[in-house]
Amino acid sequence: MIAALHSYRLDRRPPLGSSLAPRVAVVASAATVYLLVPWSVAVDPEATEAAEVMGRYCRGDAAAFHRLYALLAPRLLAYLFGLLRDKAAAEDILQVTFLKVHEARSTYVLGANPIPWMYTIAHRTFLDEVRKRKRNRVQLTKDGTLQAEPAADLTGVPVEAGQDEAARPDPAAAAVALAALHQLPENQREALLLTKVHGRSTAEAAMIAGTTQGAIKQRAHRAYVTLRGLLSKPDGASPGPAPRPAAEKEPS
Amino acid sequence: MTSKNFDDRALPPGQLEAPAPSHDLLNAIRGMKPVRTRTRFGALAAVALVGLIWPALVLTLHAYRPDLAALPLGWVVVAAALWGAAFVLSLTAALVPRRGDVLPAPGRASRVGGVALAGLFAFALAASAQVPGVSLRPEDAHLTLVQSCVHCASFVLEIAVPFLVVGLYALRRLVPMGRARIGLALGAAGGAMGGFVLHFICPFAGTAHVVLGHVGGTILAAAAGAALLPALLRRRS
Repeated sequence: MIAALHSYRLDRRPPLGSSLAPRVAVVASAATVYLLVPWSVAVDPEATEAAEVMGRYCRGDAAAFHRLYALLAPRLLAYLFGLLRDKAAAEDILQVTFLKVHEARSTYVLGANPIPWMYTIAHRTFLDEVRKRKRNRVQLTKDGTLQAEPAADLTGVPVEAGQDEAARPDPAAAAVALAALHQLPENQREALLLTKVHGRSTAEAAMIAGTTQGAIKQRAHRAYVTLRGLLSKPDGASPGPAPRPAAEKEPS
Repeated sequence: MTSKNFDDRALPPGQLEAPAPSHDLLNAIRGMKPVRTRTRFGALAAVALVGLIWPALVLTLHAYRPDLAALPLGWVVVAAALWGAAFVLSLTAALVPRRGDVLPAPGRASRVGGVALAGLFAFALAASAQVPGVSLRPEDAHLTLVQSCVHCASFVLEIAVPFLVVGLYALRRLVPMGRARIGLALGAAGGAMGGFVLHFICPFAGTAHVVLGHVGGTILAAAAGAALLPALLRRRS
């Protein structure tokens, strides 16, 4: 076979100048632009500030790290808490997330929005934690007793966090809503949390979850449909106690 | 509580009081030095430059197909442009983040890689060209169709390997999520470059050979990327 291939050598290359080539180049360029350039580039002041702070952090400014932490730690914690429903574990993952961000700061692209990137790292760390939890199913406190899950309201804020009573949703309703939320499959829950609770765009949510925008929209829609089904039941038919977060198939 | 309460207004952004940074984190920050950050196209340039060495050597040193001069020039150019576009688009989608993003988008990468593979498959199926009497058939080289396809598919995989290896190195910290999708696009890019090279050197022009050997090899390379990248990155992390 190789000998057969080698036995045919052309003396000259065929001329490539043709009217077809520029057309092909134009079509290829248009396709590249269509596929690679986002259609709407919105100016988000929060993203601009985060990008500016991240830039200073990469230049070695420790104060910028603290500003970034103050800016993003509460919302990352709320996201992790929404996924895990375990405040202590969410706080641990938050610290690991920021350590990973610190180690990976050289991969940051100056001027880019670091918020979806940090959500992605938090999400990866969450998946690793879930996998670890699967191996160690029973978690005990230092004195050998089972950990109690902190009570939380609809926003994910623990009851003991101390917030304005008037602003807090009805505890019974919140408990029902949270129980319903935690009955959703993990991928639907994360899609709902990212797009509806944390205000991420579908493109950002897709990147964070490592999937397509279509899949995110579909999961969020299914989550809504399921939630409507669960919450429209008569008052007596509560969705029941929330199950522990289970590790599902990792999104590819 | 009804479903009406569970709309966007009933789910305000959750705000928890975050704990102070841990000692480990503060220690890491204390010794912090400025770092050189990445550019959007840096990984693409590195992977393309290193990965293209081997295909360029093959094209320079290898004999061209015997029917190249006899084939319609327009078809030769369009087919080469398609293979080249599949390579460029897939590699770009796998390695270049969108403007304003830090990480390449896995959904976009798999979509671009899939469309590129489908386009190549459709073109090879519908628009293969050969010159009777000049283009070779596998039997002319004492090969069966399967043997010729296996040979070309393995050649495609050989060309794809440097892209996968260098791409894996370039992506080692850039794909926390969606690794299989990025791997698919990276493998499709390497495979498309293999198909591009074969377009100029493979003497067999039959539709069955091109579809199974060339496009099939590209699909295999994409599958290998989708399988290997998650496994290797997971082992590393």
